[in-house]
Parts: sequence; structure tokens; C-alpha cells
Amino acid sequence: MSNNPSLHLAEYLERLPGTTFKKLYQQPSTAFAIFRRMLPHLAKTFVMRMLFMPHPMTLNDLDVWVKPEAKRNKDQSLSILRGLHIVQISAPSKEKPQEIQLMSNFKRSLRLALTGGGNHNSFGVPSSLLIPPEIDLQFLDRYARKKWEDVLHFVVSSVGYKSVGDGSGPNKGVKELLIAGRLVDRRPSGGLGITQAGFTFLLQEANAQVWTLLLLWLDVLGNNKGSGLDPVDMLSFLFMLASLELGRAYDTNALTEERRNMLPSLVDFGLIYIPQHKRSMFFPTRLATTLTSGGNSLRTISEGVTAATQSAQASQQSLGPLSGGGEQQSGSVVIETNYRLYAYTQSALQIAVLALFAKLNMRFPDMVAGRLSRASIRQAINFGITADQIISYLAAHAHEQMHRTAALTNKPVLPPTVVDQIRLWQLENERMKTTSGFLFRDFTDDKDYLDTARFSEEIGVLVWRNDHARMFFANKHEQIKDFLKTRKRAE
Amino acid sequence: MISAALSIITAFNSSARPPSNSSHQSHSFVSYFSRIKSPSITRSSHFSATGSIQFAMADSDGEYVADMSDDDIMDHTVTDGDPSAARPKGSKPSKKKRDRNGSKAWEQSKRTWETDLPEEDDGMLNLAGYEAERRRRLLRDTTPLQRGIIRHLVLVLDMSFAMAEKDLLPTRHRLTLSYAAAFVREYFEQNPISQLGIVGMRDGVAVRISDMGGNPAEHLERLRELEGQDPQGNPSLQNALEMCRGALFHAPSHGTREVLIIYGALLSSDPGDIHDTISNLIADRIRVSVVGLSAQVAICAELCSRTNAGDESQYNVAMDETHYKELFLAATTPPVNRTKEQSTSSLLMMGFPSRTLAPGGTTSYCACHSKPCREGYLCTRCSAKVCRLPSECPACGLTLILSTHLARSYHHLFPLRNWVEVPWAEAGQSTACFSCQSPFQEPPKPNREKGKDEAAPAKASAKGVSESGRYKCQVCGNHFCIDCDVFAHMVIHNCPGCQSQSQAVPVGVDGVMAEANGNGHANGDGVMVIDG
Amino acid sequence: MDAVDVSEHYEVTSVDSPPSLLSIVIDTNPRAWAALESRLSLSQALSNILVFVNAHLAFSNTNQVAVIAAHVNRAVWLYPTAAAAAAQKPPAAARDHSGDVQMQDVSAETNNSSSSASANKYPQFAQIESSVFSSIQSLMAETTVQDLDQYTTQLSGALTLALCRINKASQALSSSDTTLSNAAPVNSTAPPPVKGRIVVISVSDSEPSQYIPTMNAVFAAAHNQVAIDTIALAGDSTFLQQACFNTNGIFLKASNPQGLLTYLMFGLIPDTEARESIITPAHDTVDFRTACFCHGKVIDTGFVCSVCLSIFCEPPENAECLTCGTVLALGNYGAKPAVLPRKKKKKKKIANGSGREETGSATGTPKP
Repeated sequence: MSNNPSLHLAEYLERLPGTTFKKLYQQPSTAFAIFRRMLPHLAKTFVMRMLFMPHPMTLNDLDVWVKPEAKRNKDQSLSILRGLHIVQISAPSKEKPQEIQLMSNFKRSLRLALTGGGNHNSFGVPSSLLIPPEIDLQFLDRYARKKWEDVLHFVVSSVGYKSVGDGSGPNKGVKELLIAGRLVDRRPSGGLGITQAGFTFLLQEANAQVWTLLLLWLDVLGNNKGSGLDPVDMLSFLFMLASLELGRAYDTNALTEERRNMLPSLVDFGLIYIPQHKRSMFFPTRLATTLTSGGNSLRTISEGVTAATQSAQASQQSLGPLSGGGEQQSGSVVIETNYRLYAYTQSALQIAVLALFAKLNMRFPDMVAGRLSRASIRQAINFGITADQIISYLAAHAHEQMHRTAALTNKPVLPPTVVDQIRLWQLENERMKTTSGFLFRDFTDDKDYLDTARFSEEIGVLVWRNDHARMFFANKHEQIKDFLKTRKRAE
Repeated sequence: MISAALSIITAFNSSARPPSNSSHQSHSFVSYFSRIKSPSITRSSHFSATGSIQFAMADSDGEYVADMSDDDIMDHTVTDGDPSAARPKGSKPSKKKRDRNGSKAWEQSKRTWETDLPEEDDGMLNLAGYEAERRRRLLRDTTPLQRGIIRHLVLVLDMSFAMAEKDLLPTRHRLTLSYAAAFVREYFEQNPISQLGIVGMRDGVAVRISDMGGNPAEHLERLRELEGQDPQGNPSLQNALEMCRGALFHAPSHGTREVLIIYGALLSSDPGDIHDTISNLIADRIRVSVVGLSAQVAICAELCSRTNAGDESQYNVAMDETHYKELFLAATTPPVNRTKEQSTSSLLMMGFPSRTLAPGGTTSYCACHSKPCREGYLCTRCSAKVCRLPSECPACGLTLILSTHLARSYHHLFPLRNWVEVPWAEAGQSTACFSCQSPFQEPPKPNREKGKDEAAPAKASAKGVSESGRYKCQVCGNHFCIDCDVFAHMVIHNCPGCQSQSQAVPVGVDGVMAEANGNGHANGDGVMVIDG
Repeated sequence: MDAVDVSEHYEVTSVDSPPSLLSIVIDTNPRAWAALESRLSLSQALSNILVFVNAHLAFSNTNQVAVIAAHVNRAVWLYPTAAAAAAQKPPAAARDHSGDVQMQDVSAETNNSSSSASANKYPQFAQIESSVFSSIQSLMAETTVQDLDQYTTQLSGALTLALCRINKASQALSSSDTTLSNAAPVNSTAPPPVKGRIVVISVSDSEPSQYIPTMNAVFAAAHNQVAIDTIALAGDSTFLQQACFNTNGIFLKASNPQGLLTYLMFGLIPDTEARESIITPAHDTVDFRTACFCHGKVIDTGFVCSVCLSIFCEPPENAECLTCGTVLALGNYGAKPAVLPRKKKKKKKIANGSGREETGSATGTPKP
């Protein structure tokens, strides 16, 4: 549903038990990656402030840090921090005020990550072997792009559009995974058909797609006890991959047995590259090293900063997009207020995706032009694509010029008329939107109701409320449950 | 005779609606106008109340054609000899790269995306030209001049019927209001210890928009209120000038007294002889500058020239939106003191209060607005509490100011010297911009000498652009890129190179000054001189 | 149309938070650090600062850092350095179409030096660390005995360098096709594309002769919405205090220099974005007094030349401005109608005993 890839990951992580987190945070690279990737800005600030504090601090002190108008923001940050088991808050009691502190594991690991030191080797052991000369960034980018496009082609071609993919398609294991993850399903006719989840997958940006696939993979392996792979360790390994340096060779012998077993699958996804004749080294590709980049920030801004400052940086990691010329990731779609759509791309894949919801009527060597129409959107909706998906796809792939103009004039990236119209077209036959969640009712008194409702609003889970009937609807209930419990205890 | 004059006016400019005589029975009707939208010479006719026709040839290199018809007006735009010589001196001769003489102004495209992008013949963007344009804006006279730093300025906005014209988009009126807001902000940023007032001209009278004051927020608030009003009626220069005279009457002698008029109309409906008013302005040491929006008007040129001691650069006509903004905002720079007499220098007593918090988090009332506030400044003489600076102590009248306010004006007095282009021959000594560390193009290899020679003539056409992309500060000798050049001269007013090397400080010419304030010389500044 | 826009989720805005460029200015006055040695040595301080740098980089992979040393006689880049940039700059042929810079030569170099350490350290952190340490070593090696005579540092230069870099970065980000009118330094209300921030670690006094360039830098920072934060470990840094106040930065006076890391991590970690929700330490009292040009005395009431704005603690002799030589009128031009007759007593009060009344300020009511 959401275009924010970190949400998928967040949902996945939220399901994990606390002990898993304890194990995850053993590795500084994991703590570092989760910190960078999963937390909102304010939460990062909190963590950094508490990182070098010797003692727990009281919650009241924390309240003093924050401006009153940002209370809501603070509560959300805290609830995320708790959800990821980064902080622990002592139970309220009469004699002692509530205290907050970082989990000791997390604290130690993040400290190590920042100061450097220890002997955890979690940032990868470089290979001492000579790097084959043909392997450079360009090569790795080409390789990663090829692998990933194979995967996407496989999904797209199941729509029925003839894909012009030149590749042999992804590995069998990957195909199985896509089917197991219900991104495509087998039709009775024997062919493969794309599911709605598959559309969601297609319309995401690359970074989110990678995560979706990886999480699927973790799920599948997690259910399959016989594989001998521990999902926690795998997750930790993925986070470690993200902190490796692009274009550098790492030693496979320094990895544990389980992790070495994971490498073939990662090769299939295009996350790493292992040279044919030197099996003891592996290269992370850009798909891997950008795993912890914020999904959107992968694009123009970082490129701009890089361009501006790169030359002067001694040897910073290049933050460029996934592509070494991969037009589709750097944003290539221009959409105008008159519903015309121009995409500067040669990628058959992207053209196929665009054709899902736009009427393309011209094709040039390096661009296609078309327009969004009621019919084309309706057709897409009949496929099972939602307006939200289309909009988020357009936003994710907007041309950098559109971002610039938007930033300069302080306006939305996509023309509001177009966005509204796409939604209206969808609304023509979909008048309802469902949200799964929990209804809270039958409160004993008004105060009880109001407090709980306010709490749920503050942590951002409130969907609907009716003060008159003393009912409200929330899409998550765990923390409200805790809240109700603590209330009861306090009474 | 009045009606006769009116008929001629309507013949010349059918869009200029004659004023209703009924509402201005007591006014004589005076009109000043000349060619429409031509930044060329001034040749204007001046119809006085008595019906005698005078010709004000302020800057004329042509001769008056008595039977001037509409067509003639157009023709003269093209036939006047050298247009750059005839252009008002204020607008720089090399203003636009493109040739404006080939066609009429209204035939030229006004779309910025067509006009502001210098194109080469093959349709490629000529970025060298773009860079030259940026550079041109920087290059100005950096002789340190004595400037009137403590300013008292009245901004006069035309709000007459002429402002409803749409030749400047969206309308002249709207554009003027938005530029005026930018002007107010910029003015107070550049001149923190100065005062500003705003006056409007409409319905034949002058309207007070905001009083003289030092608080930008108040002016902006008043300007916002104007947005709902439509411009209407005739403008009256004389009324506006008299009101300005009144507003500036109390301005102390050490400060400047300035009037900036934004004038859209080609006529003025005045109650008396405007020449008397001009004489009074001169007597009161008030300088007037005018930004015209339609065409040169003789009386405006005369007004500016006489009140500025013969300097004609204070009257300019805007050619397009960009030029208009440039002219408008140029007035935020403090004016040069031309003669010693123009402002009497004096010593001012000022207090430099420190910022204090009320003890224990309590609040107390400020003396200026009687509002409770926690933080404030205590007058250094009488300890009254004021909430914002700069201000005058409400109790004892001492001028209270932050020393940073004074510091903000220093760069006008000690401008940063222009940097020079670096030829390829010298380019080898640097590989990256000194300040931002972005790498430069490498100098061409000697064996490619031939190719370079061919490229040289093409490059040379863009004046002021360094072929090597490097610009050098002549004091410290460091090389910088164009972005840092622009930034250093427009915003920061420091040379990053000189500031980073204390050894590079040259000995100031004026020893006294160097000792007394010890500033600026590291900036590559010279001595302050008085112009004229 | 408006009716449609009211609905909240109908707009897709660019949610990217702009990258943040942190410039750290380290005051490396050897004399001042020697005085601090017992409590905090320069190398300890540097490691603390590097942890802070890493913490900033950890926030997002778009965040950038620059480190500048304000030394006694010059200001130099510690990271990134021109030398490193030159070494890294690949031959033109090595660029691929995307403009990505090839890194393999650098990684090959660093391979030898830091291969053992990098398994336990984020690669980017290791690079910054080695760059900063090597540049500061060469800086110290180049310092001569004569340089040590200086008590102050080239702060204005360091601030100027930092601002130039922030400006360059934001220019590269904002659209390249800004029309010429936008290039003019007019206040723009749009947020800058880069959140710039300067943190100054100050150990020495402010140098009066740098007042004007420093203030020029401060105004430029305020103009570009760059906050200047200061942590003063020692010395009297009046200018920086004013700088922080003018740019909405944080000024911390560290009474215990040992706790530098705590000050940095606690006080200075919130960047401009976080400061929208976090309460920052207040400037309780900011010293805005100024030094007179004639004697260098710190004064709170003084006389200002209307031509050049020089400040004097007493009316100069012959009523001639010491800076610009203008003859100044000392008359009571601005006097308001006085209700009370002037009293002898009051004369002493004004004008620091000069006994002159005609200062232009109004003759107000006498003090009780």
C-alpha cells in the first residue's frame, strides 16, 4: 500500500520478538543500519543524545527537551523507538518516576559503530586477494541492473505484455520465490499471472523492491525450518552488506558457514557478485550498499550533493543511484498538468510499466510520450492497480526537473490536478476504502474514553473516532493495550 | 487652453485616459511624456497651465518635431543615432547582449525563457554568456566611497490608473507591490539603522501608506493591505513630493534624505508649479530618484537631475520585469555622498545595550510597547527596558543599537575589490577553487596549442569571463571559481583567501584608519574617498 | 479547485528531507591548547569531534561534513583537502557515462593502510579520520615559532571558507537554470536546498581586528539560513556569541572541557530540522557591547561617526573623526524640546566624563 519501503521493513521488524532484536543489535553494523534507516529524524536526535549518558533519565526530563507543539512528533518517535526495542521505559510506579534508557546492546553497538574499535568485524573483512581488473563500478552496476531487470521482466511479462527482455529470466529459485510470495500466481491455464501484490511490487522504486523481495525470502526461509538458516542472522547479514563499500572485494572466508550459504541466493538477486574463478571474494553491488539509504533520498538530492562535493571528498562512498546509466532509477517521467506524460527512457521494462496505466502514443529513440486518460486509468484499475500505486510510482520516478521546480516553488512534485483526477477516476467505481484495525468501545466513563482516544491519536494509530458514541477505531492495538493496562494498574 | 492640451494628449496616447476636469477644477493640468517604452533620449513636451508649450530637452540629441504623430514616435526609436550614447547613464550600456534596435520594444519577446537564455547559432546554450552576465553584475566600481549610511528614505508608489496596465506581468500594480515588499526587506537588511516611509499617489492626491519608521514588519503589513485596492485616478507628483518633504523635515542632518518614486504614468496632475517644489527639495537637501515604468518623462529627468546635483543616473526606465527589479532594488545600496555639504557629519551618541533575560524566568513590561516579555535590552543610560533594537530609548531618547547593526553597514564603506580573470598561462598553479575545493579544468596541454588558438577568439567574445574558469584576488593571489566569486562579492563581502592568511595583509594606505578600526584592509580595501 | 486541495492526502509532495552539510571549524591555536592540555588535549578533543562527525553522518547517507582548522595565521581545510581531491580525481577517461567517479584507485590505496581497521569501522568514517589526522599533523609541523606569538586565530577566514562551501553545495543542488534575477541576493523565502550548519570549537579570544570580516561572514550566514553554533572551551569569544545570536545558533560555554563529547552530543546534535521540535539552550545574556576604535575599551555607550560609523568612547579631539578625518558637528541637532533645564549634574553622567553635552541625543529626563 505504502510507497515508503521502510514501512515494509518496519512491519516486518515489528513482528519480531524482543529477543531477536537483542541478537540483531549484537552487531554494530546492524545497530547502525537500523538507526540510519528506520528512525525518524527526531528519534535519531533522541538516541544520539542518550547514547553517551551513563544513567537512565526520567521521562519528564525528556518532555522538557521538546517544544510543546512537537509533542505529537515526540510521542510517535518514542513509540517507534520502543517498537524497535531501542529504548526501554520502566514501568510506572508510585515511588519512582518513569525512566527511559537505551537498550544496553544497542547502546554498546552504536557506540562501537561511531567510535570504531572492538573486534566484531561487522563492517566486512576485505579480501586480501588481487582484484580482477575487469571488475569496476561500471561492471558491477551493469551486472546488478541486469540481474534485477530479469526479475522485474519476469513479473511484468506475466501481465500479458510481450516483454522485450533479452535475458533468460531469473533463476529458478527466484521464480519460485516470486510465486511463493504471491507476486505472481499460477493461473489454471498453466501460465503465470500477476497479482495485485505484484503490481504494488512493480510500481515501487528499486530500493523498496529489493527490500520486498528480501523480506519475502526471509519469510520463506523462516517457515522452512530445514534450511538451517536463521532469519535473524540473515537480516543481520543484510544490514552488514549495506554498510560495505562499493567496488571493494570482501573475503568470503571470514563469513560464517550459514552466511556463506546465503551467498548464492544473493548472487541471484544481484546484490553481490562473485567472480567465476575467485570464489573466495565477493563484491557488494549498488543494490546492496544502498539498502539502508532512505528510499527517496537515493535520488536527485544525493546525486547533487555528490556531484558538488564528491571531487573534494577524499574517497567517499559514491551515493549515485542504482544505475550506472539506469535511467529508470534516476527519475525520468515528466507529467504535465494537461495529463501528458513524457518518459526519458529506453528501458523496455519501464515502458511496459508505464503502458499499464498510460496511453503511450509516441516512441522516440530515447523517450516515449503519452497521456493519462480516463480509459487508461480505468484499465489499470481493472488490472487491480490502485490510484495510490500509480501516483506513488509517478512521484517516485518523477524527473529531476520536476523535483527542482517543486522545491523552488514550494509546490507538490506532481501537478495536483492530475493527482486528484487519477483518484477521482478510481473513485468512480470504488467508493469505499478499507482499513483493517480494531474498534474500541464500551468504555466505562467519558474520561477513560477521552484519555485512550487521545493516546491513540498521539501515537498516530487513530483512524476514526466518535466522541458521542464513545467509540474509536485504531489500526494497531498493542500499545493501546499496554496503555490500558498501565492505566488499570495505576488506579 | 486646457482642453487643447488634453486633446493633444489623447492623440498621443490613447490609453492615457484624460482626468475628469470636474474633480480637479482647481488644479492646473500638467503632463509630461515622451516616447513609449524607449530607453532612449528624452524629448518631451511640457504643457503648462497657461497653454504655452515648452520643450524640455534634458538630454536631447535630436530635435523636436512639432507635428509629431503616432508614427513619428515609433520611427524615432529606430532613427536616433547611437542608442547607447543616448541611453540614460544609469542603465549600463552593455545591459543586454541581444540587440534591441532591430525591432520595437513591444515586438521583442517578453518571455524570459526566450530572452534570458543566450543562444549560439547552433541552438546550443551559450553558457559563457550566462557566466559573463553573472560576472557583469559583480563588476562595479569598488573605490571605497563615502556613503550616507544613516538613511531616511520615502518610497513613493504610483497607484494611479496607469498602474493597471498589464505590460509588466501580472499587472504593474501587483508587481510593484511584490517588489516593494522585497525592497523593504532588503532595505532594512542593508541599512539596519535607517528609516523608511511609504507614500502612494492616487486620485490626484498623495496617500500616506506607512509612517517613517525602522520596523520592516510594519511596512510589510501596510503593503499587504494595499493588495486589495485597485489603482485609480491620476498621480500627483507635486503632492507626493510635498508630503515627502514633510515626512523628511525632521530627519536629522547627519542622515540622508531620499525619495524613491516608482512612476508608471506619463502625466501628473498638480495643484501648483512643480518647479517651486523642486527648488524646495533642493533647499531641504532631499534627493529624488525615479524608476519609470512606461517612458521617459521630462519632468522626472529634471527632478532627478536637479536634486542630485546634476547627476542624471538617478532616473531610469524599466524595460522588463527583471530590469525593473534590478532598478528598484538598486536603491537599497546607500547613496554616495557627493559633496561634503550634502550631509553634515556629526557625532552621534549611542548606547550598545546587552541582551538580558529577566531573572528567574519572570517577565516584565517593556517600555516601548508595554508588552510583557522575558528578554530585552536595558538602556545603557536610564535602564529602561526595550524589547527590540534598534530603537530610541522611550525614556531618555538615547539611540539604542546593536553593534552588529553598525557592522552590517561596513561592507558598503569598504567594498571587496573585484577579482581578475586568470589566463591559461597562470592557471597551472591551482587545481581547485581555494574556498570550496571544487576542481578546476586542467590547463590545456602544450601540444594542443593549436586547438586552443582556434578556440580563443570564440571565448574572447564573452567579456569578463575567465577562460580558465579561475578568478584571482589580486591581494592574496588565490584562485576561485565563479560561484565563489559571486558569493564573495554579493553576499559575504570577504575574500576567503585574504581572510585565511594573516600574512597576506597589505599595509593600508591610510595608516590612521588601519590603526583606528583595523578592519577591512585584509579585504583588499583602499581608502575611502569622497566622490566629486 | 480549492475545495479539492483542502483534502489532506491529495498532494504528493517531495518528502525528502534536504541533506545536511555540517562544517566544523576547529580552533587550533597551539598556545590555547597547551593551556588546556591538563584537562583536554588537542588529540583527545579531535577524537571527540570525530565521534560527533560520525554521529552526524550516521543520521543519513546524504549528510556531508567539512572540517576546517582556524589556525593562528591561516585557515586550512582538514577534510576534504585539496590534496586528497587531486589524488582522487581520476583521469577524464576513467569516468563512465553516468558521471560516477571511479574509486578503485583510492580503495586500493586505503587498502594497504587501513585494511585491518576497516572491518570494524564504517569505511566513510575511517577516511575522514585519516584525512583529518594527517592534515592536522602537517598543519602543526608547519607551524613556526613566530606563529606562536599570536593569541588569536584566523576565525573569519575559516567561517568564510565554510560558507563558500555551503553556498557551492546548495547551488549545485538548486536548479542550474535559475534565472539571473534569482541570482541576486534577495531574501528568498524558499528553504535552502541544503541545511547548512557551522559548529565552531573555540579555545581562544576573539581578535578585534577581525571584527568586520567576522561580522560579514555572520550576516552572510544569516542570509543563507546557516546556523553558527559555538562551543567555547576557553577564551573570551564575544564575536562568536554575537554570531550565534544573529544566526539562531547555539552558544555553549563549556566549563568542563573534559566533557567535550557530552557537550557536542547533547547540545549540538540537533540540526536545524530537529530544532523545530527541540528546545535549544537559550541565550540568556549576550554581550553586545562593543570596543571603541580609539582606545579599544569595551563600552556600552559611545559616540558614532555618522560618516564611517566608527565608534569612539569620547568625542575625538578637534571634533575630527579619527578614521575618516571628517569634521564632525557636535551640535545638539536632535535635541527634543527639553522640559527641564539642564543640570550640571547630568553632564558628568553622559559622555564618560567628557563634559560635553552636544552629543545629538535628546536631553531626556534626568536620572533619579
